[in-house]
Amino acid sequence: MSSLPPVKEDRIICELPLYFTRDAAVHTKDSFNVTVREASQEQKTGSNVAKVIVVGDVAVGKTCLINRFCKDTFDRTYKATIGVDFEMERFEVLGVPFNLQLWDTAGQERFRCIASTYYRGAQAIIVVFDLSNYGSLDNAREWLEDAMKDNDPSSVLLFLVGTKKDLSHPDQLAQMEQEAIRLSEEIRAEYWAVSALSGESVRDFFLRVASLTFEANVLSDLERNNSRQARDIISK
Amino acid sequence: MAFQGSEEVEEQLEEPEETLRVSPAEEMPVDGPPAAEEPEPLLLPWDRFSAWLHCICVVGFDLELGQAVEVIYPHHSKLSEKEKTSICYLSFPDSNSGRTYGHFFSHAARDAIHSCCGNGMLVAVATEFLPPHQISRSCLGDTQFCFRFRQAVDRKSSLGCFLDHFDRDAPVCLKRDQGYYYGYVYFRQVRDKTLKRGYFQKSLVLVSKLPYVTFFHSLLKLIAPEYFEKQEPCLEAACNDIDRWPTPSPGKILSLPIMGVVMKLRIPTCYDKPGTSQLVQSAPSDSLVSIVLPTVHEVDLFSCISPLRYCSDFRPYFTIHDSEFKEYTTRTQAPPSVILGVTNPFFAKTLQHWPHIIRIGDMKQTGVYSAYKPFLNKDEDIIKQLQKGVQQKRPSAAQNAILRRYFLELTQSFIIPLERYVASLMPLQKTISPWKSSPQLRPFIQEEFMKTLEKAGPQLTSRLKGDWIGLYRQFLRSPNFDGWFRNRRKEMTQKLEALHLEALCEEDLQLRIQKHTEVETVDLVLKLKEKLTQAEKDLLPVKPGTIGQLQAHIDTIILSLPEDLQGILHKPPSP
Repeated sequence: MSSLPPVKEDRIICELPLYFTRDAAVHTKDSFNVTVREASQEQKTGSNVAKVIVVGDVAVGKTCLINRFCKDTFDRTYKATIGVDFEMERFEVLGVPFNLQLWDTAGQERFRCIASTYYRGAQAIIVVFDLSNYGSLDNAREWLEDAMKDNDPSSVLLFLVGTKKDLSHPDQLAQMEQEAIRLSEEIRAEYWAVSALSGESVRDFFLRVASLTFEANVLSDLERNNSRQARDIISK
Repeated sequence: MAFQGSEEVEEQLEEPEETLRVSPAEEMPVDGPPAAEEPEPLLLPWDRFSAWLHCICVVGFDLELGQAVEVIYPHHSKLSEKEKTSICYLSFPDSNSGRTYGHFFSHAARDAIHSCCGNGMLVAVATEFLPPHQISRSCLGDTQFCFRFRQAVDRKSSLGCFLDHFDRDAPVCLKRDQGYYYGYVYFRQVRDKTLKRGYFQKSLVLVSKLPYVTFFHSLLKLIAPEYFEKQEPCLEAACNDIDRWPTPSPGKILSLPIMGVVMKLRIPTCYDKPGTSQLVQSAPSDSLVSIVLPTVHEVDLFSCISPLRYCSDFRPYFTIHDSEFKEYTTRTQAPPSVILGVTNPFFAKTLQHWPHIIRIGDMKQTGVYSAYKPFLNKDEDIIKQLQKGVQQKRPSAAQNAILRRYFLELTQSFIIPLERYVASLMPLQKTISPWKSSPQLRPFIQEEFMKTLEKAGPQLTSRLKGDWIGLYRQFLRSPNFDGWFRNRRKEMTQKLEALHLEALCEEDLQLRIQKHTEVETVDLVLKLKEKLTQAEKDLLPVKPGTIGQLQAHIDTIILSLPEDLQGILHKPPSP
């Protein structure tokens, strides 16, 4: 099999990208877990792909968010997603090739029933809301609950992302952020505010998602291996 | 993509790659076809979908109305009334006892296919007696099978040329089926007290020209259960997923996202080493790829005459409601050249006069009943080898591989003399002149071919004795030979065209036109342009660079003409 082209330079991660706000982060450490670093150095990482699903109300900008990151484009015209869109994004984390499968689900009500099909086995769930629309934040909790029905809460990373930061009035933004952070703390999600139009924080956010899912993947693989070894020792 | 005129073709090919719709799934080339990486043409919405499927149908059973196509997806897909009727009847198990019946193969069955010229073959499956491993593994009440039916109208697909392109690299048994569709069925029958009859009965059917049996059954296993639970939005989403897939190019590893998982697939190519299957390796990186398909095509009857292609009609599942039922079962004529798979015991009775019948399922009757008298002697060695395998409990996959390889070598021994003779029909290279039309192939003369067998017959590569001459005579009358020869003739004619084009390329055209009048030069330009268009359309096997070189030649000649003529000649021909 011929090898793939090298990973794009801006997808190479050597240092752990930082959280958006200390108040609502998956963790606040400033570098990768030691065991993860060691495993990467020795090329002993297992699976190198993570499934990420993106959910949220209709027209909050899920597809725009992904397009800004994956294709560095922004389309002002709205086109509803049918069912689910799919993007594969390649990274290199600590020298290890790593892929994110991004499943961009439709926000429309009539597709809500099929969403669960797509949720299964996700390592990260990104709940998106519109920073200029209160209702979409209210619904974020519901989206999350739906998504969690088919997943193990202990093994899924959660992200709450406010979009259209450029459209939000400063006063409104402050208030929305406060509520969003409160919700994030409650559901143990990491909070981010971004703008797909200007591109603000979009790349930082996805690099953070890639890094944290990578870290979690490596740790759970190691744990599985260790427990298998422990079992083997016991059975010997 | 509509190939309406050469202008459009050129324009689209020149489109910078960034503006093409980028495939969301990775397409990783693997070692395989020698063809150079060609840019994928601009694809419109639903083009990608159409490269895989014609449509998806939901067929329901209504107590008053009987079977009916309830939904067709995408909504714009066209099916004639006759096609709908075929789909309706063939999407339900016959005699209400249907189960997936696996494909199978046997020595005699192979010979029968070989000779299936002008007489039919019946594969009768007594479903009640099927061994458990052949019964669909999904939950009770779900059944998968496939059927094949005639295309009622010749739909000129604008994608046609583009799709032919993939077929070029596909092995014969995986080529797109012209004039026929396959229906891949997922049938669900469950008790439902709220319904009048007490049963819910519905089929989800994928309609496609691609004979990828294993692949489509895996796909249905993902889509159908979700559909029965969640209804139409699920179909809409599935179709949308499929419309993002990379096109079905043989030899590439294709990642196909569907319903939240990614299927990985490699369509074999005709360049793959025979007898080997290039499995898609399941690397750790594929931990989320839930399905890794080693092959797209199930073990079946036709691949045992590979590399020959079975060229007559066949119906994996045939019922009394089939639109060709009368045509194929009338007793007034000799059995038609067709292979039918049936489950309804009615056929076993009605068609018991057919020369080849394979019965499966009922232990007392299971077997191959054939009126076929083999031309070649039994090969005791291979039989001994297989028997030894049985004694040593060799896995059936290994036994299968041994038998398959044996058949392949045997068929190759049979084909080599034909190939050699057909190659001799090619005119000599020196007869190709750039300034004359390309020379013609000599005709195939049976007796002339037969004479070559004395010295260069199959005895050179096979120790098997028997009436090889008789076998050739029989074969030359069969549709399988006809199909094979047509294909070879087409390839050779294209080769001639390509050589002619290359010869033209090497000519000093500039020098030539100096000796000619303006009218003759214009005529030459027009002729060259036409040749070029044809070469691009037929994907002629020319040396790389030839097309570009010829185009450059044409441009130089045009530039040497007066300006008013230049304007006219540069204009692409009106469609």
